[in-house]
Amino acid sequence: MSRRALVEWGLFVAPLPVVLVIAYLVPLLGIFQWSFTDPQPGIGNYVKIATDPIIHSIAWRTLRICLLVTVVSVAIAYLISYHWVFGPPWRQRLIEVCVLIPFWISVLIRAFGWVIVLRPRGLVNEWLMTAGLIAEPLALVRNEIGVVIGMVHFMVPFAIFPLMAVMRQIDPRVMAAARGLGAWPIRRFVEVFLPLSLPGIVGAFFIVFIFALGFFITPAILGGGRVVMIAEYVFLQMSQTANWGLGAALSVVLLVFVSIMIWVLLKITRVEKLVG
Amino acid sequence: MNGAFQTDCFEILKQRLARGEIGRRDFLKGIALLGVAPLALKSGMLSAQEKQFVLVNWGGDAIKAFDEAFAQPFAKASGLTVKIDGAGPTEGAIQAQVTSGKVSWDVVDADIFSAEALGKKGFVQKINFDVVKKDKILEGGWNDYAVANYYLSYVLVYDKEKYGDTPPKTWADFFDVEKFPGKRTMYKWMVGNLEAALLADGVAPDKLYPLDVDRAFKKIKAFSPNIAGFWGSGAESQQLMLEGEASMGLLWNTRAKLIDKDSEGKITYGFAEGFLGPSSWAIMKDNPAGAEAANAFIASAQDPAGQVKLLELLGNGPANPAAAAMVPAELKKDDCTQPEAVKVQHQLDQSWYVENYSATLDKFLALISS
Repeated sequence: MSRRALVEWGLFVAPLPVVLVIAYLVPLLGIFQWSFTDPQPGIGNYVKIATDPIIHSIAWRTLRICLLVTVVSVAIAYLISYHWVFGPPWRQRLIEVCVLIPFWISVLIRAFGWVIVLRPRGLVNEWLMTAGLIAEPLALVRNEIGVVIGMVHFMVPFAIFPLMAVMRQIDPRVMAAARGLGAWPIRRFVEVFLPLSLPGIVGAFFIVFIFALGFFITPAILGGGRVVMIAEYVFLQMSQTANWGLGAALSVVLLVFVSIMIWVLLKITRVEKLVG
Repeated sequence: MNGAFQTDCFEILKQRLARGEIGRRDFLKGIALLGVAPLALKSGMLSAQEKQFVLVNWGGDAIKAFDEAFAQPFAKASGLTVKIDGAGPTEGAIQAQVTSGKVSWDVVDADIFSAEALGKKGFVQKINFDVVKKDKILEGGWNDYAVANYYLSYVLVYDKEKYGDTPPKTWADFFDVEKFPGKRTMYKWMVGNLEAALLADGVAPDKLYPLDVDRAFKKIKAFSPNIAGFWGSGAESQQLMLEGEASMGLLWNTRAKLIDKDSEGKITYGFAEGFLGPSSWAIMKDNPAGAEAANAFIASAQDPAGQVKLLELLGNGPANPAAAAMVPAELKKDDCTQPEAVKVQHQLDQSWYVENYSATLDKFLALISS
């Protein structure tokens, strides 16, 4: 390496890995260590995770909610992305505003906002009742439905970005060729557009799912105390009941799980395509 | 930068102060900026007045109230600067400070059972009962590691308009949706819920402890469809009641008082059948200001005047029995430690919580999670 390259590397490249090691890897090793040493040395915490029915039910609930949120978010994001990429300019601008503004609002404020909208005397129920569609307010919040609505709202932009990136790369001439060869709109979509946009769907799916696994504030506020997900359970162990070893072991399991998912994502799609 | 340069800057500041070129405030600012407070302490340049004593509570309105009720009187008496940190001394946070070896808190406001559990693990210090006086605490308001600083009660709050002439009076009424239709709200972090369920299920008050957890869980699980939500914070409980999402709730008396006021008496409460328990002071292990200052602070906070002040500001019941008589007439109805109020409430058994809180809370959250 030339002297110049060395200086460049030292100035512009090295700081990032150094920061990562100090601020991320070292504490992470500490977490890893706790999971085997607190409260007693050994694999007790992992045995508990493997056998404890409470943890299992929380883990299953987390997976179920995250899966549902992911499927709904990606489906909505797919429609929005399509219109963002192919719609007329006024529609593109409208979507841009509608997607980006909520994207910049904090997750806490959005959760409280949804409580106001969804509660029994909230906007949605008032409208439905005034319109005579329902007689009793629907239970839209302080349960799993509320959590799913809040999480989907948060996740849609994260699904839109990779989908858009992929859709933008689809050559419109391919679609024109399909039409020229006599394919009807549904066939054009199913046989040409959908397969070409599949990498975006896969990417969006993984990104949203992995992100959703760590959700904490939205379930805590919109779930009315009834929807305890894994992240809140880890927080509980760390903060409320001070079972650090168990909290650490759960974090390690979650990290391993997410790492495997990221590895799979990297295997089946080309990431540079997703970032456009 | 090495120490020599800092020392020199400190010397310059000292000279300028001596010559009257800068005021004492600028001098203090300078030391803070340089990070040389230890030097200043050693040289005797900082009087006791600039030494800090850090009191930690749960934030919000309680910061101002603690300042008036406890911090200012102690600062005046001791000459220490008392700072209130509203970071929330959770068990995890206390354990983290002590384990890291960088303790910056002196005295914390913690659940009394929590303080005892932490004390047994070596994270908080024993109280010096030569300095802190047991006769200034209500019976049962102390253990080796903690001293009651105020009392709170989990009370039955209800919508007066909805229940009219036959308001709910007992936890049996609370669990009876036939006689008292409407949604309820209970506490997400469990305390009080199991007791209420057991009393409603027919357990005699004097036979409550040790809690029959399975029986209580069965009762709550069956009742769960009638619960609009389990509140996790005081603000949330207030919202649930005022918005009409719940027409009855098991709430902190301090919030109940605010709800009563905000709804102009439409939603109200009484102390009958409430669950009374203390919050407490605990001293961090190796606290920076030292054990002596910490015990002195707790002793100073035993002054009934400060405790009555806290009642006035937040609605927390005084822990010193001498305070009851000093409470102004208009505040008496809010005070959960007035002798008449104590008589109609049940005492939470702290020793049960020391042993069982963490494991039972785990199960409770699994139970209420749908």
